[in-house]
Amino acid sequence: MLTNSFYSYFNIDALAGIVVGLVVIIGITIGLFSRRYMAGDKKYRQYMVLLGLLVVSVAVMVSADHLVLFFITWAISNYLLIRLMIHKSSWPPAVASGWLAAKTMLIGLCSLGFGFILLYKAAGHVSIQAITHSFDGSDPVSIMALAFILCAAMTQSALWPFHRWLISSLNSPTPVSAMMHAGLVNGGGYLLARFAPCYLTVTTLLGAMFILGLMTALVASLWKLIQSDVKRMLACSTVAQMGFMVMQCGLGLFPAAVAHLCWHGLFKANLFLSSNSVVREKRVNTPIPPTLADMVQAFLSALFGSYFFVVASNQNLLSPDTRLVLVALAFITAYQFSLAFIKHFTWKYFPLVLLCTGVLGGGYGLSILAIESLMAPLNLMQPQPLNFLHIGGLLLLAAAWVVMLFRRSLASKKIISSAMLKGYVRALNASQPLPATITTHRNQYSYE
Amino acid sequence: MLTNTGSRTMSVEDNHISDSAKKPHTIDKIVVDAWNNIAPCWPLKNLVAANPLQGLEALDFEFALSQASFYFQQQALPSLMNEINRITIKWCQAFFDEGQATIKMPLREQGLYASWSVLAVFDESLHQNEPAKKNMLINLPANPSHAIEESIEALNIPQHEREEFLTLMLTSLPGWSSFVKYRTEWDYQKNIQTHPVSQLEYLAMRLIMTRLIWPEASDLLHWYKKNKQVSHSLPSQLVDLEKNEQQYRRDLLSKLSQQAFQSQEKKQSQADAQFIFCIDVRSEPFRRALEKQGNYETYGFAGFFGLSVSVCDQISKDMHASCPVLLTPQQKVSENISSHNQSRATIIRKKTLSDTLRRLYQSLKYNFTTPFTLAEMLGPWSGLMMITKTLFPNIFSKCKHVFSYQREKSLNLMPHIDQAADGSGISLADQCAYAESALRLIDLTKNISPLVVICGHKSETKNNAYAAALDCGACGGHPGGANAKILAAILNSHDVRAHLGKQGIQVPAETIFVAAEHNTTTDEVTLYSRHTTDASMMAKLETLQGSLALARQENTAYRSQAMDHCHAKSIMTRSQDWAQTRPEWGLARNAAFVVGPRRLTQDIDLEGRCFLHNYNWLEDKDGALLTTILTAPMVVAQWINTQYLFSTLDNVAFGSGSKVTQNITGKIGIMQGNGSDLMHGLPLQSVNQTDTDSYHQPLRLMTVVFAPRQMISDIIAKQAILQKLFGNGWASIACVDPGDKKSYYLSRHLVWQCSTSLGD
Repeated sequence: MLTNSFYSYFNIDALAGIVVGLVVIIGITIGLFSRRYMAGDKKYRQYMVLLGLLVVSVAVMVSADHLVLFFITWAISNYLLIRLMIHKSSWPPAVASGWLAAKTMLIGLCSLGFGFILLYKAAGHVSIQAITHSFDGSDPVSIMALAFILCAAMTQSALWPFHRWLISSLNSPTPVSAMMHAGLVNGGGYLLARFAPCYLTVTTLLGAMFILGLMTALVASLWKLIQSDVKRMLACSTVAQMGFMVMQCGLGLFPAAVAHLCWHGLFKANLFLSSNSVVREKRVNTPIPPTLADMVQAFLSALFGSYFFVVASNQNLLSPDTRLVLVALAFITAYQFSLAFIKHFTWKYFPLVLLCTGVLGGGYGLSILAIESLMAPLNLMQPQPLNFLHIGGLLLLAAAWVVMLFRRSLASKKIISSAMLKGYVRALNASQPLPATITTHRNQYSYE
Repeated sequence: MLTNTGSRTMSVEDNHISDSAKKPHTIDKIVVDAWNNIAPCWPLKNLVAANPLQGLEALDFEFALSQASFYFQQQALPSLMNEINRITIKWCQAFFDEGQATIKMPLREQGLYASWSVLAVFDESLHQNEPAKKNMLINLPANPSHAIEESIEALNIPQHEREEFLTLMLTSLPGWSSFVKYRTEWDYQKNIQTHPVSQLEYLAMRLIMTRLIWPEASDLLHWYKKNKQVSHSLPSQLVDLEKNEQQYRRDLLSKLSQQAFQSQEKKQSQADAQFIFCIDVRSEPFRRALEKQGNYETYGFAGFFGLSVSVCDQISKDMHASCPVLLTPQQKVSENISSHNQSRATIIRKKTLSDTLRRLYQSLKYNFTTPFTLAEMLGPWSGLMMITKTLFPNIFSKCKHVFSYQREKSLNLMPHIDQAADGSGISLADQCAYAESALRLIDLTKNISPLVVICGHKSETKNNAYAAALDCGACGGHPGGANAKILAAILNSHDVRAHLGKQGIQVPAETIFVAAEHNTTTDEVTLYSRHTTDASMMAKLETLQGSLALARQENTAYRSQAMDHCHAKSIMTRSQDWAQTRPEWGLARNAAFVVGPRRLTQDIDLEGRCFLHNYNWLEDKDGALLTTILTAPMVVAQWINTQYLFSTLDNVAFGSGSKVTQNITGKIGIMQGNGSDLMHGLPLQSVNQTDTDSYHQPLRLMTVVFAPRQMISDIIAKQAILQKLFGNGWASIACVDPGDKKSYYLSRHLVWQCSTSLGD
């Protein structure tokens, strides 16, 4: 009887399995990394214990089915994260970073609490499974609950306007940043995916997610491109990626969002841990704007690549729905890839370009398909009919990319008007960390 | 409000700053004087050691320390000064970026002041949208020197305190000031910078910010004065420092004189091979291990081997100055792989592949929209890589070597020393001069072995922002193999040997010079010679390889005692491990610089703490060679020594803090966390075993010369820099005098004291 009720607190489905797997893999890798990286640190043991507890706590949260258990482990995980952020506790800016994160997460925690209470009131269940099964999308209280939960997800995933804590979090030890960017910020995406069956019945909230995600993705991408230090660049990039993930949720493509969450987590953890290597990273010069011939070749190659993406990820192009947005992004990426390739090889190598783009498109499709098919039983892949919002968003993403592509020729035409200079300074200021988290006086710093 | 009175009366003769050449100002003189207090700091790509208190070397060591605690070790700053620093850091990060930001600071090719003054108009954190402040920014004078003058008037700084005020403007953000000092005085490519800066421009920017944020900034002067009275006592570490130095000096001098005046008649046969190593302290234990393996002689020489050259790798098209930063490269030498070389095609193919991959990756990563798909595409790979790098670092690097061409490239690159049409190469006369001075300086003019190995050194670490600090300092923070190859090529040239013969240096016809490179992280020595067809020479080289392998085994075992693991094998892993913050100890624990023949040090375990330079006073009648040694390699050693010293004494003010929270900005330097001053100096992990226990023992460099003391005195009397260093106590010098067979050390008053009679 007791064991029965114990099990009723948990629900380990495909979604929980994937995310627990991710957190455990990243947690163990970062733990082993830290054994050498943090060697000799005064608080080495405390650090290791906190890291271990954090992994356990996140794993419990992800597999929780009971609202209260979920809420408590959510709070504990964030608390542990903040403790790890303030590892060098006699360094005031590190403490300030922790406080900022704590405040933001408290907002998130309150939102989550309100959301859960409202959900419980509306459905009368404490089991997340039961709530999602019996969810009524026309009930205003339930919609309100979902809006609160969305807000919690936004604080956790550092979406605009809650992005500041993440950009200001770099006073943490490098492995903690890796853990944060690969693990904890994904909490928002996980939360949305967990309640996906509910969100899928409320199209207005999906639209809101799409807009909020898109906005964050665009703004933070710009911030990322103007940063001069490696860690803040990575942090801004995470904010943009989180925006993109929430955007995917807004498209009704929750399994794609989970795929993004996993793969981006691994990608970003690796980049953080190797952030000391950038000194010797050689940057290739910005490519000269392509000629017409380049563009035609790249177009063909991109078609080829995105065709393989469509085939590999098992998409149906005949019914135009929100999945087309992902196909379009794959197309843009394949286009950029082919351009960078073509620029430095003669046309004789065109078959090679085609082959590589095809392999890449196919590989990309497969990596998404893998997560999608694991999550298939949950039936969370529910593409929405395309509307103007989606098309407008897609056009914005494409336009930003085109501007980057022709940036050289734009700059040479002396378009550096005061509007662009003003834009640069504004973006620079907007992407600064909280003032109190910057070590403005050298001797404020302390390694203890 | 803004008056220009009273400050343009004097003219300055010695004006170092080019902008002001046309219009000499007193303010320019004050600016120069203020900047004199600042030491340069080098960017991470060629991290050269420097004394963080170089600007105070004209003062007595003790007084300089108290000045330093006043300028650099204040525990707090007035709150508005913090605000000014924050905004300075923001703009310095943007302006000095060297390849991190994809969208760079607009207009920066016009220079710091010109570009910043345009952009500052839009910076709300500076003017808070107040019309008066905005107007001031719009109407800034075009000339930075006028801006300084205007600002200093507006801030009401009294005439006699202006220099002090400007100095405080620099010392309250010491790291960035040091970087500007490097850019304006030490960057050998300073005339071709893509984003130029001058000392006037930086100060102008800082003063304008101060005017906007803290109009009452003259309080800064009072604030510092108040604190000066408080922090007056000398650092307690100074007492320990002197005690430890005396102890070390007594031990070392007694050991050295014992060796020096033993029965010298150990006349041995000609050595099978001779090795020329860098003076670097890491060479010493390796040389000792190598000498045990056979009839070998080793020599110590500055690792650039006397060649002031810049090296241009024709495969990657990279160029760098491969000589000490005190020198300006005189010649450019191209390195290439000859078209007859079979490896060339493979290397080029691998390079094309890796360049293409990098281009594809970067074009997707540093872009709009495409990074979203890129992260999803590479996620699985990243995960796999991350796990392999952490669990099996050796396997990961082996896999990487299959695709990497770097190792093969450095094996096959050969310098073209003869003059070429493009202006590269070294003229025969210069080659002869290089060859002769190299052999004379280390006294390798007789009994030259059939095989002479010229051995540069490099380090091998992964994911290490301070990699260049472990490379050869004499080569400007680069691997020394290129210089070894050039000197070997010069000494193998028939024309050069003919010239040497005329000068009385007989190089036997069968002798060959072989370049090599000592990997200080793993102790592996790579020989760069594959072209010999002579069977007996092949056999000799093979024996040599064997000896080098044995020496490596012995030295890694010796070094592993100082690492936390006692397995020699873990030394190899450290060089490949991306999580390792202490891949090797570098030059930590350095303490002395010994100038003399090898027999002085051969039988003593110097614990890898000494720079060793070969020298024979009998062959140096006029003291010219010793002058060179004391004013060039010794000064470089003193820079290294003081960097370790101060990074250990105060790792926050003079070092860069823990690696654990470091953040690289602009690929040029280190910040702590979200943002900070540019943290110049060495990280905690380079000088400390743990957060609390240090590994480096702070000692000021002691130079010991085996020569008559009068000869040394004569040299010091002629060299102002030596008087400054020894007289002010930044370094010390001792001598083992072959005349009366006693050892002496030079007091701060530049008088010789007998070491044994003083009972110290």
